[in-house]
Order: sequence, then structure tokens, then C-alpha cells
Amino acid sequence: MKIAALLAVAALAHGQDAAPAGTAAAGSASAPPAAERHWRLGAAFGYGERSNPLIQSDDIPVIVDLDVAWFGKRWFFDNGDIGYTLADGPRSTTSMVARLNSDRIFFGKTDTRYVNITYLSGNATTPAPPLLAPVEVKPPDRDYAIELGVESLLDGDWGAATLRAYHDVSGTHGGFELAAYYSRRFTTGRFSLEPTLGVSYKSADLNDYYWGVHANEASAALLEYHAGAGFNLEGGLVANYYISRNLRLALSFNYERLADDIADSPLSEDDYVMAYFSGLAWTF
Amino acid sequence: MRRRLAGVLISLAAAVPATAADLPAARLFVKPLLCVIDRETPGCSMTFDIRWKSEAAAEYCLNDSAQKAPLRCWPSLSSGTHTEKRDVTEAFIYWLGGPDGTQRVAEIRIEVLRLDSADRRRERRNRHVWDVL
Repeated sequence: MKIAALLAVAALAHGQDAAPAGTAAAGSASAPPAAERHWRLGAAFGYGERSNPLIQSDDIPVIVDLDVAWFGKRWFFDNGDIGYTLADGPRSTTSMVARLNSDRIFFGKTDTRYVNITYLSGNATTPAPPLLAPVEVKPPDRDYAIELGVESLLDGDWGAATLRAYHDVSGTHGGFELAAYYSRRFTTGRFSLEPTLGVSYKSADLNDYYWGVHANEASAALLEYHAGAGFNLEGGLVANYYISRNLRLALSFNYERLADDIADSPLSEDDYVMAYFSGLAWTF
Repeated sequence: MRRRLAGVLISLAAAVPATAADLPAARLFVKPLLCVIDRETPGCSMTFDIRWKSEAAAEYCLNDSAQKAPLRCWPSLSSGTHTEKRDVTEAFIYWLGGPDGTQRVAEIRIEVLRLDSADRRRERRNRHVWDVL
């Protein structure tokens, strides 16, 4: 099932074409310059936040957004992702990519709290007696997972799409994720606007590792819970105003609706992840 | 003898009309300076407002790097303006010089920023926490 999903993404995206990487992008109204620098370096300074759906956790502030990427003919490094391009054609590019799972980031800023557990009595007018001692509630630790997968990038006059299928290869969660995104950039004058829609399917193993309450973690305040598979839905908007060739004013907003099995977890206090950022971005 | 030769050279120099090398310094102002192009907007239709100002009056010509002939020349003036409409797809330079085109006293580059890329991997989105753009 998992391997079939990976292969299906590649096959769906590519069909027959398999030209060397780094050749022309098709469908463009005019051919972009042939020579582009291998390195892409940039930094955005401003303020933004990514909300954290994990209980007793802080939202994640974003003050600096660094962009460090290197693109070779087949190998590439893109802000932590390492990829090898398998095929590049006029309509799509397919690569094998290794990455770190993104769910782990929510488990980095947690607090321990103590709660008093009260029994619900049959008589509502009778105050329930507290337990003997407050119960410690601490979100459990989770590890980073290294995931390996296939990613296909497609574009044309209709916009751009990304198809992804990743599987854990580090033995951390043992699950997989399938995702599809669509975006289209509109440019007028110095202003560009790019809305994005996406959907991702996360397997039960993946969701349960990060968002389940495992038997050894359960307590009176944190009941055992097993998360199943589910779909996350996502929408976003990025706007840029180009002040010069290197400097732009950037605004972004992203909203992700978490799958019910994640949202219903005792570890989740929100059923969404929201992120925004505004600032000045410099591309070297 | 040596004094006489020097006097002849000085008088000859005075008689030579002002050449491009003698152009007084000038400043060039152009708006706008940037064209942003993309897959669906492969060029910019731009109207350039061009101004120049020099320290002293002289014959100046406005040129661009896309063609040999001057766009416009001004006889013995210390300032000038020019408006030009053009479709831009590549970076180029407006420059101010003498009528013979040998000297540039001021120049301004019109930049073209291309948002799409020949390598579509450069447009991939990441899901990392710090990647919000």
C-alpha cells in the first residue's frame, strides 16, 4: 500500500517523460534565463506566528525566515530537505526527497501544569471532592522522524501542483503521508499574489505516534487515546510587493484544518494550525 | 623654441571644439526602475519618466543599451526631460552622453525580476515551521 502510493505519485505526475533535470520549464510564455545560480539565499525579517495545537504549548513565533537552498542538476538541498531529481520533463519534475516530519515541531515548546481532577457526582448541587493531589499533566515527548518519499511538481497555464508521498524510514512512527497542493500566482506590476489549496492524508501510525496518548503516558488527566488516519485540509495566501530586485515586502497567511482524529486527541486543544507572517524579505 | 611650441599647443587646444570628453558631470533620474515578469506576464508595458540635470549646459544625448542611435538629444542645455513608453522583457541601461556616443556621464539600469524559474524545484513549498513565505 505504501510503496504503491509512492509509485502512483510518480507515475501520475510523469507518465512517459524522463529528461535530464534542469532543462526548460514548459508552458511558459517566454523562456526563462538558462543560467541560474546554484545557491538561493534569502532572509525575511518581520513578525509572524504559527499556532500550536498541542495542549500546554506556546505558539511558535517567527521573527526571521531564512531561505537556504542549493540546486544542482539532480541533487538539491532546500531548507533542510535533501532531494535527488529522478526525472524532469516539460510538464513535471519528480524527485526523491528526504525530510524531517513537520508534526514534531509542535512538541518543542511545552509546559508542565498541575490540574485538580474532580469526580462528577450524581447530584449537581453537591460539590465534588478533589482528589488527594494535583495530577501532573505534561505533553509527552516525541521524536523527529526522517521521512523519504517521492515528490512531483507539475505546472502549466493552469497553475502549479505538488504531489507528495512520504514514508518514515527512521522507525519513529512507521507511518506515511500523502499530500496534494495546488497554487496559482497572479502578478501585476510589482505585486504578486499566490493562493494555495492543499490536502494531506496521514496514516494511523503517523497520527497515533504524534497525537495519540500511549498507555504508558496515560493518567487521570490525560486519558489513553489512539488516533486514526485522516485528512488535513489547508489554504494559504502569499502576497509580495517587490521594492527592488532583491527586496520585497512579504505577507503570508496559512490555515490548516486538522483531521478529526488529531483534533479529538486529548493532546490537541485546537483543531487547526494557523500561521501568518509579515516582513521584509531580502534575496541575495 | 620650447616656449614657442608650448604656445602653439595651447592655442590649438583652445581652438578644438568641446568634445564628449569635456562633458560636464550630469545626473540621470528614471522612474520606474523595476519590471516584474512571470509565466503569465512575460513582459512589462512601462512608461518611463526620464530627467537629467548637469552642472553646465552642453549637448547631451539620451541613449539606451538596446540600440545604437540616441533616443533624443538636447542642444546646449543643462537639464531635460523625456517620456518613453516601451515593452520591457530584459534588463537594459539608460545612459546620458555626448552626441558622438563615446562618453557616458550618467547611467541607470532598469532591472527585470523574473518570478518563474527554468527549474521548477525552486518553487517547491516547504512545511517547516520557519518557512512561512
